[in-house]
Parts: sequence; structure tokens; C-alpha cells
Amino acid sequence: MAGNKTARAALEIVMIAVALLFLYPIILVFYNSFKSFGEVMRDVIALPHQWTFANYSYVWKYIDYPKLFVNNVVITALGLAGIILISSVAAYKLARTKSKFSALLYMLVIIPMLIPFQSIMVTVLKLAQNLHLAGSVWGLGLQYWGLGAPMAVFIYHGFVKGVPKELDESGMIDGATGFSLFFRIVFPLLKPVTATIAVIDVMWIWNDFLLPLLMVNGSPDTKTLTLAAYSFVGQYNTDWQYTMTAVVMAVLPSIVVFILLQKHIVKGVTAGAVKG
Amino acid sequence: MQRIGRKTSGKIEFGMFTLPVLICIVLAFYIPFFMSMYYSLTDWNGISRSVNFIGMDNFRQIFSGDANFSSASWFTVKFSILFIVLSNVLAIVIAVLLDQKLKTSSLLRAAFFIPYILSLVIVGFIWKFIFSQGFASLADTTGWPIWGWSWLGTPKLAFVSVLLVSVWQSIGFYIVIYLAGLQSVPSDLLEAAKVDGAGAFRRFFSVVLPMLAPSVTIAVFMSLTNSIKVFDVILSLTGGGPGGSTYSVSFDIYRETFQNNLFGYGTAKALVLFVVVLIITVLQLTYFKRKEVEQ
Repeated sequence: MAGNKTARAALEIVMIAVALLFLYPIILVFYNSFKSFGEVMRDVIALPHQWTFANYSYVWKYIDYPKLFVNNVVITALGLAGIILISSVAAYKLARTKSKFSALLYMLVIIPMLIPFQSIMVTVLKLAQNLHLAGSVWGLGLQYWGLGAPMAVFIYHGFVKGVPKELDESGMIDGATGFSLFFRIVFPLLKPVTATIAVIDVMWIWNDFLLPLLMVNGSPDTKTLTLAAYSFVGQYNTDWQYTMTAVVMAVLPSIVVFILLQKHIVKGVTAGAVKG
Repeated sequence: MQRIGRKTSGKIEFGMFTLPVLICIVLAFYIPFFMSMYYSLTDWNGISRSVNFIGMDNFRQIFSGDANFSSASWFTVKFSILFIVLSNVLAIVIAVLLDQKLKTSSLLRAAFFIPYILSLVIVGFIWKFIFSQGFASLADTTGWPIWGWSWLGTPKLAFVSVLLVSVWQSIGFYIVIYLAGLQSVPSDLLEAAKVDGAGAFRRFFSVVLPMLAPSVTIAVFMSLTNSIKVFDVILSLTGGGPGGSTYSVSFDIYRETFQNNLFGYGTAKALVLFVVVLIITVLQLTYFKRKEVEQ
């Protein structure tokens, strides 16, 4: 028994060491963003002799960080709200209506999950330009509605089937019908699965690169955090003290949110994968 | 009379609930998809108003004389196979170790998950810094030749770099799936195997691994669909180089369309990608369905 305990303690220490090594690249980038150019060039591994915030104030101003942050929030919030709204009502109706037509529509809605974005990106851009959705933050947010809906409907549909029909009917007796029935009685019951979809979609939209690159990369006013970091790094190339600062500023919001909501995020991602 | 009224109002309600999603999905997928089918038969360059119909010429060229496409396909196949094997094997090993009721299990799980929440483009930049600057410093301090190798500058090593960075980024996701799967392995079954004298390895291969089958199904499926579309990491880590050795199919499509301005040709390639992904997905789904029925 004692042997077992020592073995477990040893395993624990080994795993902590492995995890630290695993995260070392991120830690390294983090503390190098506080060095001057000369210090980065002298030794990357050593901690900064003198912690400087000069890189941060430079990059912050240069890429207009608050603006980017707002853009990211607008795109993600608009995209997520739309996906949740249109997918939950449709999935509910499709799951509750037992007819061939409804089953056919359901298939039409979820089949696009098989279409890789890369295989339609060219014409998505062309269509978005025709509809005046390209080049604006709002237009980009709207585009996520359709792109995110198939998976959201799929997950909601599976969940609604498990919600007893009697609950809808008790709502109907109260006189609620249509949307008010759905939003007062049914939607609150879908909370766990809404959380799952929210976690997956926020991670996807917040970090998305290819679609924003096609749609909003034209003007500095409409860029996202990742896009701005991408063009910044392209421009400053080997000015590592600046590029790594831009990298830290781009990932910091995600890491902070992850630390705060760690359990929910991991749970949401697992549930999404297992159901999807 | 009242009955007909209710029927129509039911239909209107059905329409109100489902139309928004239908419109959005038709705009996001179906129209672009059919537009792609049309443009793949043309020589459109993306800007010009003249669009000439050239029949199957694009497809003929893809399969007969496009060295870029065949090398990008070969890269993607190699990458996908190695990515699926590496990320799943490593994730199972780490998940099993984390499942040993360690005090810091949930903290460690979170640590391995962190890269997965980062944007892939940014992950590429982080590792570009590590491979060029970090390794140079390590070479200076340790003197080991491995740090001095040109990790992004030689075709073979650049492939390894793209692979390792991709595994690093997403392994946390697969660990979490396997950890969830491990919760369904009954502990009395493990105890019984232990009493019967089965060692740790025997227990793993005869008890744990078969019970993990559903998780393996999910994780392999996800890793395949993700690896076949690999793009972002390559863009920021190697830019497709050196000498075009790390072009993936997605990257090739992107380059052909937006850098070479061959929109018609690029959409044709994109449709080839779609058909391949579709075939693989359908094969996988039928295979797993059959397996589920057998069980």
C-alpha cells in the first residue's frame, strides 16, 4: 500500500513536470514580451533583467487594441445569439412535427455539416460581396448564423426529443402558444445544451481566421484580434519583442476566460463532441 | 371549418419556426455550393466580367498535370494519418495517467487543454518563435545538435514541425474525450482483472481499451475531419515552405484562388476536396454504424 502511494506521488510529480514542459512555449512567449529587442536576441530562455511595458504600449496603440476587442465581441455575440435563436426554434419545431416533410427539412438542415468550409469559401465570399455582407463586422457576424446552424440544430434536435411533450401541452393549457410557449416553457429546459453550443461556437467564432480573412481584412477598422496579430506579425516579422507582445495580447482574453470558466468549457466541449 | 383554420395556423407556425434557419443555411451553404459547381466549369479569374464556359477542362487538368495538387494531396494524406495516430495514442496515454486519481488531475487536465482554446494562427506564431529563437538559445546553452537543426527550413523537418505543433494544439481536446470515456469503465471489472493477476498493461489492453471503443470512434472521426482541412497552422508556421513542401490541399486551394487569381480552377479543386471528404465521412459513418449494430 505504501509502495502504491509513493508510485502515485512519483507519477504526480512526473505529470506536473510534463504539463509544465507542455505549456513552456506559452510561458516563454509571455515573459519574452516584457523584454527589449536586445535582450530577446541575447537570450530567449532567461527571464527579463528589466521588465518593460514599452512593447505593450507600442503594440496597443499601433493595432488599436480596444477597437479590435470590440470587433471580436460584436462578431462573436451577434453570431452566437443568432445561431442559438434560429436553431433552437427550428430544432424544436422539426423534432415535434412528425411528418415526412419535416424529416426532409431536417436532413436538408444538417447535411451541410459534411461540407468543409474550404470547399465553398470562394463562392461564399462572392455571394457575401453581392449581398453587401463583406467588409463589415456586422455582416461577418450575420454569416455565422447559417454556417453554425447545422450543428446547433443537430444538437438541439437530439435534446428536444428527450424533453417530454406533456410539458408543451401544460403550457398550452396556460394559454401560451407559438413563440411565447417556446421561450417561456421549452427554451429554459434546453439550458444545458444551449451552454454546450455556446461554448463550442464562442471558441470557434472568437478564434476563426479564414472567414474573417476573406471578409474583413481590408480595413484596419474591421479587423479581428487574430487578423490584426496576423498582419502585425507579417509586418514586423523578426521584431520578436513586438510580435510576441501582439501574440500575448491576442490570446490573453481567451486564457483569462478559460481560467475563470474552466470546468464549464471542458464540460461543454466534451458534451458537444460526444453528442455531435 | 375551425379544423382547417387550425391546420393552416399550424403550418404558418411551422414556417415561422423553420424559415429563418432554412434561409440562413441556403445562403451560407447551398447557393455557394451550386455557384461553385458552376464556376468550376469556367475559367473565371474572380474579377473580370467575362466568364467562359470550358466544360471539364479544370478537372482534367487537376488529375493530369497538376504537380502542386498531387504533392498537396500527398502531404495531406501523410499528415492526416500521422496526426490521427499520434494525437489519439498520446491522448489515451495521458488520459489513462490522469485518471489514476491524482490530486492535481483536474488542474493537469486544464493545463493540457489550454492550447486548444487558442487560435491556430497564433499557435503557429508561438512555435515559429520557439523553433527559431527558442531553439537557437537552447543550442547555445546546451550545445546539443538537435536544437541547431533547421526545423522550419528543411522539407522533412518542416513537415514534422507542422505535425507536432498541430498535435500540441489539439491534444487537450482528445484527452478530455478519453477522460470522459474512462469514467464509464467499471472499477469492479478492473478490480476483478487485478485479482485474476492481470498486470497493468494486460488490464489496459484487455479491459480498458475495449471499453473505450466509443470514445475512440468519436476521437478518430474528429481528428480525421480536422486534419484533412489543415490550413491555419501552416499559414503562420511555414507559409507552405520551404519550397512548397508543406502545402496542404486547403492551402493549395487558397493559393490558387486568392494568390494566383484562378477562381474557376480553385473552385474545381475545392469540389474535389468536398467529394473526397464526403466519401470518407460516409465510409466512416457506415463502418461505425455496422460496428454499433454488431455490438
